[in-house]
Amino acid sequence: MSSDKKKMSREEFGLQIIIFGLGFFYAIVYYVAVPGVVDLQAVSDQLLAYVTAVLTAAFAIGVINLTRVHWINIKRKRATWRYSVILLLSLYTMLVFSLIASPFALDPNAVVIPASVIQFSTPIWEFLYYKTLVNINSSIFSLLAFFIASAAYRAFKARSLESTILLVAGLLVVLGQAPIADLIWPGFSIIRDWIMAFPNTAGQRGIIIGAALGIIVFSVRRLIRYDW
Amino acid sequence: MIELVPGRISQAVLLIIVLAAIYAATRIASKRHLKTRGIPGLERIDEWIKEAAGLKRPVFYTPGTGGITDPDTLAGLALLEYVVNHCVEHDARIIVANSDPQVQQMTEDMVKRAYSKAGREKDFSPDMVRYVSTRQFAYAAGVMGILRREKPAVNFFVGSFQAEALQIAETGRTEALYQFGGTTNTDQLPFFTTTCDQTLIGEELYTAQGFLSSDPDVISKLVGSDGGKILAILLILAGVLLATLGSSFLINLLGL
Repeated sequence: MSSDKKKMSREEFGLQIIIFGLGFFYAIVYYVAVPGVVDLQAVSDQLLAYVTAVLTAAFAIGVINLTRVHWINIKRKRATWRYSVILLLSLYTMLVFSLIASPFALDPNAVVIPASVIQFSTPIWEFLYYKTLVNINSSIFSLLAFFIASAAYRAFKARSLESTILLVAGLLVVLGQAPIADLIWPGFSIIRDWIMAFPNTAGQRGIIIGAALGIIVFSVRRLIRYDW
Repeated sequence: MIELVPGRISQAVLLIIVLAAIYAATRIASKRHLKTRGIPGLERIDEWIKEAAGLKRPVFYTPGTGGITDPDTLAGLALLEYVVNHCVEHDARIIVANSDPQVQQMTEDMVKRAYSKAGREKDFSPDMVRYVSTRQFAYAAGVMGILRREKPAVNFFVGSFQAEALQIAETGRTEALYQFGGTTNTDQLPFFTTTCDQTLIGEELYTAQGFLSSDPDVISKLVGSDGGKILAILLILAGVLLATLGSSFLINLLGL
């Protein structure tokens, strides 16, 4: 965060040239075309394919990090080492069965891996994925309902003028959204629509415009190594 | 023959004008001694880190679920640099949790570099920077677990967040941690402001590093981005005025 101007090393300078060159190229491709000479879009797509390849390789590094961190936990018998055992077992079991029997299996036509192994592994992978992983994922997602309730309880306390406005606006939107609202008073849904369409949209757009400009400045700063 | 892509000509011109306005505002501001109004709470980062060091509890940081090309993630990483340097300075242990393997590589490098810069390479441990999961809710569960088990004193979650943000924030709240959040995602911002002691809202995320500095040169660069913003506001006002008068001149111009 310091603004001290440091001299770049040769490696850093080389890296900066690559970063600037590629960043500038992507910006140019969006605005400029050179028909009949070179298909800039095709070049850009090809470069993006390389990014995907690098990203895939990075996953392996992620798995290595996960293994290393939890292996240290087990080795040093830290308080949570049992969880680390479960994590590593789950990770590698899933990895093995996914490589054999998932839609992205390495050898789906049983050229190298015997068909009997694939047949044996398929129901196990299906159980692990559809009956375990998907359900756990949904369970964690559904925890959100409780978290929203506790966050709303905290937000809707009328402690100041701002929080009172939030409370009133929130209650009106909730009432307007409830099916019973129109039976009580048809005005609730009109008020809800107004709050959502005007104050809410205006506030959101203000933030989005500010953030968009922030992104432009931030990106240029990063691209040309404008320090801070 | 080089030609501009139809429909993007006005965008290119506008980008050049905005960049020129930013540059001009920076130049003008650099000649004056300006002070920032500050972002409330930002100056407390250092205080919280010191407190964490005093309590012998770690500082937790996560840049969210975005990839390395996500501007929010990059802004989160820029703030991480500041946080990790201060953790090293005050001898507070830092734990960084990542959802993206590439971001993991970058954060690991940043933390390692901060320790080696201070001549304390031996204090760096691989479990300080952890890859959790690319799956959104597996990552959320992992981070919630870290917050519960490792009991950090401060929870920084600045970057790109979706629905998992509230789960992380509420867990931190239950553990009574100091919480510092930041994102540009307007769907998540209400949850951030409800659960955090300090929230970077929208563009504050990109300027936070500037606010943390008292260097006049850095402050002039902050004013520079405001120059671009003023230009955008003028353009919006012109658009509103012309649309109200029934003219579609600006819409047609921007559609070029």
